[in-house]
Amino acid sequence: MTGPGPWLLNRVRRDGPVASVADRVPVSITERGDRTLSTPGATGQRTVIALLGAVLVAYLLGPFVAFLLEHGLPTPGAFADPAVRSAIVASLVTAPVATLLATVFGVPLAYVLARYSFRGKRLLEALVVLPLVTPPVVGGVVLVSAFGRLTPIGKAAAALGVPLTQGYAGVVLAQTFVAAPFLVVTARSGFASIDADLERAARNLGKGPLATFREVSLPLTRGSIVAGIVLTFARALGEFGATMLLGHPPETMPTRIWVAFVAHGTDATVPLVVALLGAGLAVVLVLRLLAGPLEFSP
Amino acid sequence: MSLALAGIETTRGDFSLGPLSLTVEDGITTVLGPSGAGKSTLLELIAGFETPESGTVTLDGERIDGLPPEKRNVGMVFQDAALFPHLSVAENLRFGAPEGTDVEGTVRTLGIADLLDRDTTTLSGGERRRVALARTLVTDPDALVLDEPLSSLDAPIRRRLRLDLRDVLSDLDVPVVYVTHDQEEAAVVGDRVAVLLDGTICQTGTVGNVFDDPATPTVARFLGVENLLEGTVRERHDGEVTTVEIGESTVLVEEAVDAGIEQATIGLRPAAIEFVGGPDWENTLAVDVERVVPGRNGATVLLAADGLGRLTARTDDRTAEAVTAGERTTVAIDPTAIHVFPRGRADGR
Repeated sequence: MTGPGPWLLNRVRRDGPVASVADRVPVSITERGDRTLSTPGATGQRTVIALLGAVLVAYLLGPFVAFLLEHGLPTPGAFADPAVRSAIVASLVTAPVATLLATVFGVPLAYVLARYSFRGKRLLEALVVLPLVTPPVVGGVVLVSAFGRLTPIGKAAAALGVPLTQGYAGVVLAQTFVAAPFLVVTARSGFASIDADLERAARNLGKGPLATFREVSLPLTRGSIVAGIVLTFARALGEFGATMLLGHPPETMPTRIWVAFVAHGTDATVPLVVALLGAGLAVVLVLRLLAGPLEFSP
Repeated sequence: MSLALAGIETTRGDFSLGPLSLTVEDGITTVLGPSGAGKSTLLELIAGFETPESGTVTLDGERIDGLPPEKRNVGMVFQDAALFPHLSVAENLRFGAPEGTDVEGTVRTLGIADLLDRDTTTLSGGERRRVALARTLVTDPDALVLDEPLSSLDAPIRRRLRLDLRDVLSDLDVPVVYVTHDQEEAAVVGDRVAVLLDGTICQTGTVGNVFDDPATPTVARFLGVENLLEGTVRERHDGEVTTVEIGESTVLVEEAVDAGIEQATIGLRPAAIEFVGGPDWENTLAVDVERVVPGRNGATVLLAADGLGRLTARTDDRTAEAVTAGERTTVAIDPTAIHVFPRGRADGR
């Protein structure tokens, strides 16, 4: 099985300005959580378990419901605000670029981590997931240290006309740093779940390493990679902490929400919050669709 | 065509294979060994998935040990078939076949014409094996290796398929190395057998030669000669008959033992021990019956022989019913089923 299971739905978190570390740690995509408990008897115990779960469901849904009850859906006119429009454009330009970068470099890295043995592999694995377990704002600080205006790289890039801070490039750097591990972890799990004999069979049938990767490894990991791309895109779209330090301004949707909230309260955030909620729902839908057809039986 | 491994040595963690040499001519050689003996490693060395630390692998005189797997043209059939789950049966067959290859003949030979449009995940275990073999054969390999291809199948399918496999494989004009841990399968499928124990080839020969005449006590034990006893050669008779003293008894053995050899390890198959009840027979041992363990076809009887320790006998149901734990009785030894291994050989014990 290489496709993502329904558990992935629980992993979709567009963490806003404050998100807990635990929210950003994906687990193995080979886990499945869709078995039903149908043993007879013990109804009371099952009820307790269900009630405990229901408390969390209420807590997770409640705020959304409260927000929508208080503010309703925004009128089309709410999106006419130039600041809102420019934030949407900034997010819709940068998040796909960050996702593309994460995919181009992350899929090969995921394959290397899943298939190769080498000295320092465990350390590398730990480093790759570090951005997942550290607050994004910490990522922002270290990115400023590496790519800030006064650093050699930052100076060189600025001299070439591509400043790495306070521009789209900075936003992309911040989003890629924070979101790419999602892709690496998900794709790695997909590659690791392929029976190594399938790749060896391809080699035995005359295919070189690249052809084997293209014709066997990649198609068999398609579900995991697409799931990783969707998660990475969602994470990039919602990135706030690192973006504030490295990229701001321009304002992206999350940073615009923060600026609007500080200046004018929740009323001013409605159009972008609803837009990001819509994007989140779309991501959940895509993952749900992926969970079925892309699974292969071993 | 000839496939040859010479002086091969390799280490994987705590396990080391070799030094090992094996030459396989056209025809089927089964490599028989228990799990952990290095059978799969041996095939990986031939197919190119493992690099030997020393030694050479040659195919028709050309060294192939430096070539990547895709350049060796050694076909491999994997343990669980390793069919690509994202491709149909027909697409699996064409995966490694050069452009324009006619797969029809192979499809007919293996009886898989009805399966071509199927999704590989819907195939039965036996169908998967046939498709896997066909997929390898259409690439026209110069040698073929099979890694326990039937091991995960149910017994009835395994028994039927190994006959079919034998028919298909024996029609190939290339060396075939067939790895298995199943002795019956090794005997049925192979023309020749190589016994691989603990990373070393201990004996090679025809099926009859290896099973009837194991070369060492270690091979004998692996092939089911469960009773290995210390003995002394007492007398050499005309022809191929020798008197051997084991414990407090002397038995006749229909085997010539080289002059000068006195100490030997005596191998007795459990089925070579016959319950005769009284001492009026030749080649008898006095034993105490310790335990009778009923089985599917007959019973296993554990015996304590005077001065020899424990012996294992296998007997039919009727005889087993007449034997009681705790009784003292007499068993006769079939003189044609005794193996004498001169002591002092490398693995003699």
